[in-house]
Amino acid sequence: MTNLGLYIHIPFCSKKCDYCDFTSFCMGKTEQNAYLNALFTEIDLVKNQFKNKTFNTIFIGGGTPSVVFDGFILSLSKKIFSSFNIAKNYEFTIEVNPSSFNEKKFKEYLQAKINRISLGVQSINGAVTSGVNRAQTRAQIDAAFNILNIAGFKNISADVMLGLPNQSINSVKNTLTYLINNNVKHISTYTLQLEEGTPLYKKVNSKQISLPQDDFVVKQYNEAYKILTKHGFNRYEISNYALPNYTCQHNLKYWNNVEYLGIGIAAHSYVDGTRFWNTKNFNTYITQLSNHKRPIKAKEKLTKQQKITERIMLSLRTQNGLNLTDFCKEFNMDLLKTKQKQINNLQKAGSIDIKNGYLFILPKYFEISNTIILELV
Amino acid sequence: MAKDKIRNFCIVAHIDHGKSTLADRLMEATGTVLKRDMEDQLLDSMDIERERGITIKLTPATMKYNYNGEEYTLNLIDTPGHVDFSYEVSRSLAACEGAILVVDASQGVQAQTLANVYLALDANLEIIPVINKIDLPSADISGTKKEIEDVIGIPCDEACEISAKTGLNINSVLDAVVKHVPAPKGDENKPLKALIFDSYYDSYKGAVSMVRIFDGKVKAGDEILFMQTKKSFVVTEVGIYRPQPVAADCLTAGEVGYIAASIKNVSDTKVGDTITLKNNPIEKPLDGYKEATSVVFCGVFPLDGDKYQELSDALEKLKLNDASLHYTKETSLALGHGFRCGFLGLLHMEIITERLEREFNLDIITTAPSVEYKIYDNKGTLFDVTNPSEMPAMATISKMEEPIVKMEIITPKDYLGGIMDLCADRRGTYLDMQYIDANRTKLIYTMPLNEIVYDFFDKIKSLSKGYASMDYSLNGYQQSDLVKLDILLNGEICDALSLIVHKDKAYARGKALCEKLKEVIPRHLFEIPIQAVIGGKVIARETISAMRKDVLAKCYGGDVTRKRKLLEKQKEGKKRMRRLGSVELPSEAFVTILKLDD
Repeated sequence: MTNLGLYIHIPFCSKKCDYCDFTSFCMGKTEQNAYLNALFTEIDLVKNQFKNKTFNTIFIGGGTPSVVFDGFILSLSKKIFSSFNIAKNYEFTIEVNPSSFNEKKFKEYLQAKINRISLGVQSINGAVTSGVNRAQTRAQIDAAFNILNIAGFKNISADVMLGLPNQSINSVKNTLTYLINNNVKHISTYTLQLEEGTPLYKKVNSKQISLPQDDFVVKQYNEAYKILTKHGFNRYEISNYALPNYTCQHNLKYWNNVEYLGIGIAAHSYVDGTRFWNTKNFNTYITQLSNHKRPIKAKEKLTKQQKITERIMLSLRTQNGLNLTDFCKEFNMDLLKTKQKQINNLQKAGSIDIKNGYLFILPKYFEISNTIILELV
Repeated sequence: MAKDKIRNFCIVAHIDHGKSTLADRLMEATGTVLKRDMEDQLLDSMDIERERGITIKLTPATMKYNYNGEEYTLNLIDTPGHVDFSYEVSRSLAACEGAILVVDASQGVQAQTLANVYLALDANLEIIPVINKIDLPSADISGTKKEIEDVIGIPCDEACEISAKTGLNINSVLDAVVKHVPAPKGDENKPLKALIFDSYYDSYKGAVSMVRIFDGKVKAGDEILFMQTKKSFVVTEVGIYRPQPVAADCLTAGEVGYIAASIKNVSDTKVGDTITLKNNPIEKPLDGYKEATSVVFCGVFPLDGDKYQELSDALEKLKLNDASLHYTKETSLALGHGFRCGFLGLLHMEIITERLEREFNLDIITTAPSVEYKIYDNKGTLFDVTNPSEMPAMATISKMEEPIVKMEIITPKDYLGGIMDLCADRRGTYLDMQYIDANRTKLIYTMPLNEIVYDFFDKIKSLSKGYASMDYSLNGYQQSDLVKLDILLNGEICDALSLIVHKDKAYARGKALCEKLKEVIPRHLFEIPIQAVIGGKVIARETISAMRKDVLAKCYGGDVTRKRKLLEKQKEGKKRMRRLGSVELPSEAFVTILKLDD
């Protein structure tokens, strides 16, 4: 049986970046402690349901998981390992911000059996990151890599953002080269999304800041592809690159329709064909759990059509693409027939191909995958 | 009824000078409508008319009025004030012996005051000047009177000075109508001779003719003959308007009312036709009207291709009550099946499209308005082209002509410069400038109709802060250097975006169009070149590069639902797009070409 993924959300940051609309709060030790207790309760409430299942990936994400007080992550890890069945060859990732990372934390993570560290670098250009109020300096980035490299830590991932204000193509190139030179094995390149209600949104609307044109962002994206593939990275998913054997197993679960359990504020789960997610409200989360109630905000039992849409949407983001045999078996529907016309047109345009039972988007066309997916759903 | 106690009159005015309000007051003062039943602008029965404060359809009302102890029957026919509907004005004039000329004392004589009063004078009507809005602080009563005398040449010694809004001096208007409007002539003992000045469809009575009886009489049971269509019907009901239709025993010479005869098609009750009795006909019909000619044309397509039949039904229903609307089937590569519609003018076009959306709940796409060009080919054959896609190949054309209008603009002199620049820019030819008073000037130009169909009126209004007024009339055709501007999307002509423009305007227009389209067309699987082309020569080009950056967003904390919902939304949006070859066009694309900034 396929192993599950486990996601834990840490909703704390030292300071919120201008573009962020994700759930995170600037809170101190008292709230962090309350939150850790609540996480424990939530784990206790669900663990029986998973006693016959095995998790092979754990991902602590945020927010900024590295801002919590010392000992938080270690005790969380112990709780996880004592509550769930964890596969032998597990992948255990923590997201870290260079500004709140140090030797002591690193040692705690190792003790917590964490074997993969994902650094939120975004850009090594200080002017670019400070432009969006991201708390980090170049020196902090250097220090973080120093710690990891001196210790000989191998499984390092880094996030890079594209489409930031005043971010040149060269600045993207420099950041990527820097990461490659610092032995990073896995790189995610996400594009900045302008979300309503964020400080950045207001600044853009009032014309204090202008965002780069789509065309320019595409250039950055293609430049990233060029550099990374030249250095042996494989774009296994639309925004994710890895050296051989360093593909993020947890990440792949999202795209490959593998189920996962999310613990913590705003965490999303996909269990037994149902998607559900927790409350985004800190107090609600804490109160519900102190009453031993699961803090689920909403559930979504997927219809067949929704499942089909998701399957196509998610799997076409990956390099391998959609397994047509599995698709046909599960939905009793031959996509090659139902979407014959569209598939023919897309093939003619050279944007997709079918090989060994997989339908996939060709690398050159990843940047417009949405348009292609829209044809097929 | 004694003919000498009947007065048939209409009200003419510039738009907004208070015509409909005066009509309301007259009905109130004569007790035709009780005050508590009073609805503003009673004769404007359509929502659009009330909302916009304009009169589109003419509507008659019969009122009783006591003057010097005698009861008179006053038949009022309201007329539209907007230039588009001067055709309707001229129709109502033929049914009257007099006209009330309303002029706003705060604004004076305006372009359409002149246009409408000249129509009334041409129809030999007695004109009764009425100075309205005298309650306004800015009212200039003596100045307005002087203007009417100087500009129009009508004596104003006895002009009524009123406020239709407050009801001040309303009876003086009614008195003047009785005193000055001649009683109708005609002989009720002669054979029936009735003029249809309008018709409409009633779901119970069928097609109803609004008539003015010139000779004879008509009652239910009579067999009537429509002289033009040669069709005959048995009258089921006659009546008058108070202003709702009220059945009457009989209509006799001099009267205004309606005739219903269970007629299924409004086309059988042709406006301008003469009605007589089948077994006792007159020999010669009355002079009818010229058919309403369409001046502005555009394509109307359902946004959702499946709604073609609904659009067709809706147009048919509108046509029942609006003889001036013309339409024929049209098929566009880009937009599928729809209709080519002809309108009296831009306002008419706006009103019809708005009614299609509001009254029939249809989402429609309209293409850029066009006018009727006369194109001659090498062999001298004439083509009337109202649709750019029907324009013959340039190489085969020997001569092209475009419709010209005579444009009259009345403006305060402060805005003269800006307006003259605009006219010059729109290829106007200056004819004359007349001083109305120390402050206001009348400009007369001739200019191509296609230069005013887009936004000329809006521009005049904004240049003059709303003070200038305009009126135009068709003034024949003029040879012109026209070109067909095509838009190519990914190498294919998008017929619905083609335009006929003057050669000198083609470059700027093509460039602006390409730029605008680049903004509204979503990114595709491939790069899409947008080209503006004239006869194979590319004059402007833009490229939509392929990509959508939202695909590269992070999937935060496994939130797949958000991604799926976004995709579902995009898929919904995609359904509303029109496919042209390999390019998908959102409906906004067609609207943009109407809204190009100069």
